[in-house]
Parts: sequence; structure tokens; C-alpha cells
Amino acid sequence: MSLLVELSNVGRDFDSGRIVAVDDVSLAIEDDETVAIVGRSGSGKSTILNLVCGLDRPTRGEVRFEGRAVNGRAAWAAVRASRIGIVFQNFFLLQSLSAGENIEVALLGNLGGARQRRIRALELLAHFGLAERATLRPAELSGGERQRLAIARALANRPKLLVADEPTGSLDVQTSQSVMSIIGNVHREFGTAVIVVTHDEEVAALCGRRVEISDGRIRSDSRVAAISTPTPASRTR
Amino acid sequence: MTELTLPLRGLIARPLRTLLTILGIALAVAGFVALTGLTAGVQHSFASGIDENGADLVVSQRGAFNLVSSTVPRSLGSGLSAVPDVEAVSGVLLNITTADDAANIVMAGWPAGSFLWNDMHLLAGRIPAPGDQWPVILGESIATALDKRVGDTVELQFQPYQIVGIASFSSVLNQNSAIVPLEGLQQLLSREDVFTLYEVRLKRPLDKNDVAVARTRLMAAAPGFEVGDTEQFANSIRIFDLLQAIAQTISLAVMAMASVAVANTLLMAVNERTFEIGVLAALGWSPRRILRLILIEGVFMSAAGGVIGIILGALAMEMAAKTKFAAGLIVPYLSGWSIVQALIFVFIAGPLGALYPAWRATRLLPADALRRI
Repeated sequence: MSLLVELSNVGRDFDSGRIVAVDDVSLAIEDDETVAIVGRSGSGKSTILNLVCGLDRPTRGEVRFEGRAVNGRAAWAAVRASRIGIVFQNFFLLQSLSAGENIEVALLGNLGGARQRRIRALELLAHFGLAERATLRPAELSGGERQRLAIARALANRPKLLVADEPTGSLDVQTSQSVMSIIGNVHREFGTAVIVVTHDEEVAALCGRRVEISDGRIRSDSRVAAISTPTPASRTR
Repeated sequence: MTELTLPLRGLIARPLRTLLTILGIALAVAGFVALTGLTAGVQHSFASGIDENGADLVVSQRGAFNLVSSTVPRSLGSGLSAVPDVEAVSGVLLNITTADDAANIVMAGWPAGSFLWNDMHLLAGRIPAPGDQWPVILGESIATALDKRVGDTVELQFQPYQIVGIASFSSVLNQNSAIVPLEGLQQLLSREDVFTLYEVRLKRPLDKNDVAVARTRLMAAAPGFEVGDTEQFANSIRIFDLLQAIAQTISLAVMAMASVAVANTLLMAVNERTFEIGVLAALGWSPRRILRLILIEGVFMSAAGGVIGIILGALAMEMAAKTKFAAGLIVPYLSGWSIVQALIFVFIAGPLGALYPAWRATRLLPADALRRI
């Protein structure tokens, strides 16, 4: 167990400081944790997630990954390429590419050779039950398939950290359960740390740690139990 | 999937815009190829036209501005004839005028008895004879274009000439020229006792070394004058430099416009694809890789535009050369060097235009880019 991500007194302002989205947040996440960042809409939880993976730049404070301060777009890109996989609420799949290519695009630059990339993409598609869908475009997939594809893409480079921003926000109850089950399995199978941003308490309950955000600040930070796999009976919506 | 897949898909996804940009680049390249090619073609045409008449070397005024402004005194002839390697010399007077006010034409005044008449391939009629009143031999192409036959009259330099022969030549210049007796043309142009140039025929057999030796001797016999082969003569005419400079300046301006078109297209593409760029950045694509993605799109469009432009330019030259007023004066000339130049321009202009949009793409924070959907 070692420290994976550390936010030290991080703040993020918008509109020349008129909007303070995140204020003085300090958060340390270990490499075997599953963390749910919860809060209402506009509480600043997604901004924190963006800061954790360098998609956004803090106005104040410092973000460290694996003990090293990461600064600049190129440095963060390198970290994301090899260490972080991101799953978005709206999947953010590239519509001009097939399912297989959507995974391959994440491998470009990390895995040499088109053939190797293809093999890795097909492996992941098979792992997530999408082997038959490799040549289809995202628009031809169902919501659940798209989210599974997004998770497969996030895992393409065998990341140390999987972050998911409202991963079930666009899905029905059944598909949500399936997606959370997959994320739980990823943690167990690959030992990947997981951070999930959600406003859904049931999703949060599946994580070992719960960080509550309100008005851009951490209101509570509690460890509960290891990540569990949802069962159909455990969830209602 | 390779690094080229995404840029190609990006271009294909916006077919009309891609096509219009490629067309813009193609027109710029076509303009360059046609302008520089036609200028070089004129030069080449004059060189081959003079070469065809059997001359090995040409003596002309040093640094003459244009073909007809060169002035060489008749008195130079005896000195040139006295050079040991020289078989014959012939003064020639050239002029560009209109034939029947319908087509531009080169008039060449040749002295009676000149060796130039010897190699002429007559299709009809004969060469001018003493006693002929304003006789002319027309090149086959111009005779066909003007629908003239032996016995017809053609007005040249405001003087009606009687067509006594029609000749076939291999050079486009001569095919569209009118050959007249020297004295009459000198009289019309008020240029008695001067020629445009001397054409020099050397003794046979001939090798490169003989030509070089003869050239040195002729330079000694005609100090202050230009002595060279027909290609060197054409190259020494300063108007060609001017035409080349004009052609290249216009081409550069057009290329710059093409570069702006590429920039505009890619800037729009970058703005539209902010989300896609954000996703790629989120996946860990480095700013350099994203820059390369946009640049590759620019290079793709430039390459396509370049190839199409070269073809269009060649066609444009052919069409320009076929117009009645340009016939014989403008000759399509597509050299390997002008193709290389066009491609160099294209591969500078395209990526240059793509550079700013690409740089802008790399400046986006992924979170900002992803917020813009």
C-alpha cells in the first residue's frame, strides 16, 4: 500500500476568482483504495476529479501523483497515458472510430505496432463481452455497451488508477448495476485504485471510502469497507 | 489503426470543407505551375526555335532585355566569319507582331543565301526568290490557324506579304513564325545595318570541345557581345528573369492565400473538434501528438491539393498555349524542377497554415475542451 494521489491545499477558481469551485482541499488516496466522492450538483466534486487526473489545473495548491508533483500539460498527459484511466458519464467515445479503434486510440504511443494494439483492443473487448461489437461505431451500441467500452478503453494501458465521473448517470438501473459490478471487479482483478464521483448514495456505498464535498470543500471523509459488488436486490432506483 | 487513421477520418467526416480547401490549394499550385511553366516555356521555345535552324552558337547583345531588343551590328559579321572553326554566319532580325491582326507571330528576317534556308522542310511552295515582292514563308501551324495557303496574302507589320511557301518545323516557335527576307524587314523596322543576333554554324564533325574552343574564339572576335549556345542565349535575355520573378511573386502570393485557407479550415476543424481533442488529451495524448494530428491533416490536404494542382496547372498551360494569340509564343513546359518547387511550396504552405490551429489545440485544458460539448 502506497500513496497514489495527493492533493495539498488545492483550490480552483473560475471567472477570474469570482467563482470558487474548489477551496483548500487536501486529499490523499492510496493505491488500493476505492473512493466515492459524493456531493450535490455543483458541489465541486467533478472539479476535484479533474484536478486529480490533471484534466484541470489548480489555481492554488499542489497535486502529486505517486509522490511526484506533476506540472504542465505534457507531464500530465504522460501520467494519464500510463497511470490513469478515465470513465466519463457521457462515455466520450469518438464517433468516427469503431469500438476496437476507440480502445486502440488510447494505446497509440504506449503500445508499439498496430497489430499489438489491435490484439490488446480485442482482448479488452472480449473481456467486457464486446468481442462481437469490435467493428461497430459507438452510435450502434447500447448505453450499457458504450459504458463498458469506455471502461475497456480506460483500462487499455493497465492504469494504477481508474477514475469514473458519474459512471452510471446516463444508465438505467440494471445497466448501472452491471457497470458498478465491472468497476468493482476491475479493482479486485487488477488491483486498480478507483475513484468514483457520484451523487448516487447507493453507488457510493459500494466504495471503501466516502468523501463528501459541499461548496468546494471536503465536509467529511470516512472509510467504511472494501468495495462490494452490487446485487440486483441491493439496488432500487 | 495507425496515427494516420484519425486525421484521415477527420477529413472524410467533413467532405465538402476538405474538398474546397484541397481545391483552394490545387488552384494555388496550378497557378504556380502554369505561370512558371509558361514563362520557362517561352524561354525554351525561343531556344529550340533558334536551335532548329542549324545554328550551333549565337552572338547577341550582352544582357539584352528582350528577344527583339538585342542589337548586333552588321560589321561584326566579317570578324565572326574569319574565326577558323566557323563554317558560316548569318545575321537574323527578329520581331514580334500580329498576323492579319488575328494572332501574335514571330517574324524572322533571314538574308538571301543564308545557311538557315538549307534545312527548311517545305510542305508547299518555295523559298523566296530574287524579284519577289514581300514574300513570306509561314510555319505550318500558323498557316493552318489563319487558314492561309501558298498564294494568299498575310499582313505582317502593317505590310501585306505574299505567301510563297509553307514549312514544317519541329519547334513550336518556328511552327508559328513567319520567315521573310532580311532586307524588307530591316526596312520596315528601320533597323538597317543591324541584326538581332548572329547565328553561327561550325564546321563538321563537331564535338563538345570544338564548340567550347569556337566559343572562346568567337568571344575574342566579338568583344562585349554574348556568345553562347541557343539555351545560353535564351537564358541571357533579361525579360525572362523579369517574367520568372513576376510569376514567382504571384505564385508566392497565391500560395500564401492557400496557406491561409488551410489555416482557416483547420481552425474551424479544431474549434468543432474541441471535444475530440479533449478526449484524446484525457486519454493521455501529449500536446505534441495532438499537434501532429492537426499537422498531418494539413499535410494530407496539401499533398492532395499539390497533386491535383500540378495536373490542373499542366492542363491550364495546354489550354493557354492553344489560344490563337498565344500560339507559338507560349509553350507548355512542365519540368521536374517546377514540380519539385510546387511540392516544396505546398509542403511548406500547408503545415504552416496548420501550425496555428494545431498550437491552439495543444493549449486547451482537457477539462475546458470536454466542457464544450
